[in-house]
Amino acid sequence: MAYDFSDVSVLIVEDNQPMVDLLKSLLEAYGITDVHSAKDGDAGFELFKKELPDLILSDWMMKPVDGISFTRRVRNDVSSPNKFVPVILMTGFSEKRRVMQARDAGVTEFLVKPFNARDLYRRIVQIIERPRQFVRSEDFFGPDRRRKRESSYTGPKRREEDDSNDSRAAKQTADKLK
Amino acid sequence: MRPVNMLKQKVGTGGLSDDILDRAQKLLEENTSDFKPLAIVYLASLMNGINMAKGASESDDAEEVIANMLYPAMQLKANGGMFQYSLMTIIADKLIQFLEVIKDPDIEAVEIVLAFHTTMEAVIYGEIKHDGGKQGKELLHALTDACMRYFAKHPETYIN
Repeated sequence: MAYDFSDVSVLIVEDNQPMVDLLKSLLEAYGITDVHSAKDGDAGFELFKKELPDLILSDWMMKPVDGISFTRRVRNDVSSPNKFVPVILMTGFSEKRRVMQARDAGVTEFLVKPFNARDLYRRIVQIIERPRQFVRSEDFFGPDRRRKRESSYTGPKRREEDDSNDSRAAKQTADKLK
Repeated sequence: MRPVNMLKQKVGTGGLSDDILDRAQKLLEENTSDFKPLAIVYLASLMNGINMAKGASESDDAEEVIANMLYPAMQLKANGGMFQYSLMTIIADKLIQFLEVIKDPDIEAVEIVLAFHTTMEAVIYGEIKHDGGKQGKELLHALTDACMRYFAKHPETYIN
């Protein structure tokens, strides 16, 4: 058995046409042929509402609306048709603070350019096989930004599931000790 | 919240074979898109940022002045390697590292950015693809040296 991408649609939001063409070729090689593209975040959001893609690949730097603002809109706009849609943000930036900025906007996966065919595939597999939970706090809605739980954290819990997960873990530990 | 995993439901299990991924990689490596016109646009944008930095006054926001040079550098880094210009990516990455740590885009720093611009322009017009071989190493070495000399002379000007 292999992945069957024949029923999957992808939206590419990218202002660089050669890059769009390259991405389309790559996706086609994976078996994804239902691909739409837009030149910036504004046009991308309109196409997102119209086509309801299963996955979005967005560049960061675009004018007038960049990939970060576009992602925030996908996650928070009242007219967004699917606030849970996975978004892979592509960028030349790799510094930690840039990755954090993207995570804080609600990006699901971060893909540093230049990348190869396996890099993009690995991000897609990650989304398929290890989807992130979504969280809502006062100022954020999007995929859980924590890759793993920080056991050393002693500050206040902001989400209900923090307590329920901790309780579950504590119960499992107690059960093992019995 | 655990949203329904629509993608998993659609694609099933098993992944993609190495053959498919190798074919995809070959497509990437053999694409014939011309990066030069795009690179010229980004280089012009970088030169614009350099000129703005040269004319900047103390009241201008240093972060914004740096961003005007950083963003086109990021585009050159991001796209060069996608279109066979990996030396361009390596040089632009060095420039990004330089711009990410300087606090004050003083005239000496801007001169270094200008040296990067001149080198990247030579890479594009000389159509130096891939890593550029010995010539590529020499160009990179010269730029790295310029950055090191700047940091040695101005240890106070960069962010740790």
